[in-house]
Amino acid sequence: MSYRPDENILISWLYGELDEVEKAKVEKYFQENPDKLKEMQQLGGVKDTMSKIQDKEVIAPPIFMDGDIKVIPIWKTGYFRVVTTIAASFLLIIVFARLLSMNVSYSNSELRISFGERKKAGQQLTAMEVQKMIDDSSKKNQTELDAAIKQTLASNTQQINDLVRQASNASKADIRSFVTSLREQNATQMRDYLQLSATDQRKYTDNLVMEFSKYLQEQRNQDLNMFSTRFSKLEQNTDELTTQTEQILASIISSSPQIQQSSY
Amino acid sequence: MMHSDALIARAREGDKNAQGKLVQLWYKRIYNFSYKFFFDHDMAMEVSQKTFISMHKNIAHLNDLSRFRSWMYTIAVNYCREELRKNKNKRALSLSDLQPGLEREESYRWEESGARHENPERQLRQSELSDILQKCLMELSEEQREVVIMKEYEGLKFREIAEALNISENTVKSRMYYGLDGLKKILERNSITKETIGYEL
Repeated sequence: MSYRPDENILISWLYGELDEVEKAKVEKYFQENPDKLKEMQQLGGVKDTMSKIQDKEVIAPPIFMDGDIKVIPIWKTGYFRVVTTIAASFLLIIVFARLLSMNVSYSNSELRISFGERKKAGQQLTAMEVQKMIDDSSKKNQTELDAAIKQTLASNTQQINDLVRQASNASKADIRSFVTSLREQNATQMRDYLQLSATDQRKYTDNLVMEFSKYLQEQRNQDLNMFSTRFSKLEQNTDELTTQTEQILASIISSSPQIQQSSY
Repeated sequence: MMHSDALIARAREGDKNAQGKLVQLWYKRIYNFSYKFFFDHDMAMEVSQKTFISMHKNIAHLNDLSRFRSWMYTIAVNYCREELRKNKNKRALSLSDLQPGLEREESYRWEESGARHENPERQLRQSELSDILQKCLMELSEEQREVVIMKEYEGLKFREIAEALNISENTVKSRMYYGLDGLKKILERNSITKETIGYEL
């Protein structure tokens, strides 16, 4: 079977990374297959051509790196704070539990959390005893309930009978007394009404008489005033007449000698 | 040798100077790995930054110092994949694609590099050829591209690549083989041969 190198071996040969034994095998293969050698030489030519790409010149820019190692105190680290917080919480719970005398116990699939002194557990009741207590209690309740119902029923019956009896006995006497009382009540009301009416009429008449007398008195006063005024006027007129008469007489008297002399 | 085990050990113990030295030693490699992977300056810078920040955070957990190189590329390739996923459906124009910006961006690198001592015309042609080949490289699948870059440009051994990508060595070799074969076809399609390159240069 002839040796035939794969592309991995061929590329290693091209870059000179084969060991001597493998290299000899490949070169022998090339002697037998010059086309393959030519192909590889072409690839070598490609290598040479591509090596003409030049490197770009570049200057490394200043890169500022934070090289200082920051020493963080342990009490400022997050882990420390978390642990401290948890521990403080537990401590707080323990202190409060101590102050409140908290007891936590677990037994027989029962978790008990209690505060204060723990009371001694009494005698444990059995299921039968509990059932018996429940039954007794139920019976007692039933008896009391029955008695209460009977008593209530009897009381209600008695009350109803009394009411019915009262209704049947209240026939004539009650009606009579009711009518009598109604009549008396009406009479009283009428009497009161009339009494009240007479009083009002008397008060009205009194007031009317008083008003009339006041009117008469007023009228008389006015008449008197009028007479007085008339008399005053009459007296005044009389005086005036007297005065005029006197004046006339005086004038007559004073003119009579002149008349006598003229007669002479 | 880019670094020594003692330097890595000091960095692992939190020595900021040692970590800074590792950044200085490794930045160009990680940047160029990312640049070849993306063919994009901004994304390469992003991945490089993230890679070294991750290195700083995680180097204390590196047990085997001899695996530092593959470990670094593991971080870088993971960030490359992450960036690729994020930008898969996002079409953005890189600032480096803008011609005036590119000129300014490249100027300091040119000043820093030894290339300024070479013939400027030759240097320009070399740069153009580099971009053409880079575009060919971008036509490879993501898996083949990362293997080709690690092997061809970063010089990792197949074992180290397998460690970095967490795959078997045979898978790495297989991807490499088919990657080179794919590149051969891409170059032929673009009429890029040894002769044309020689003419260009």
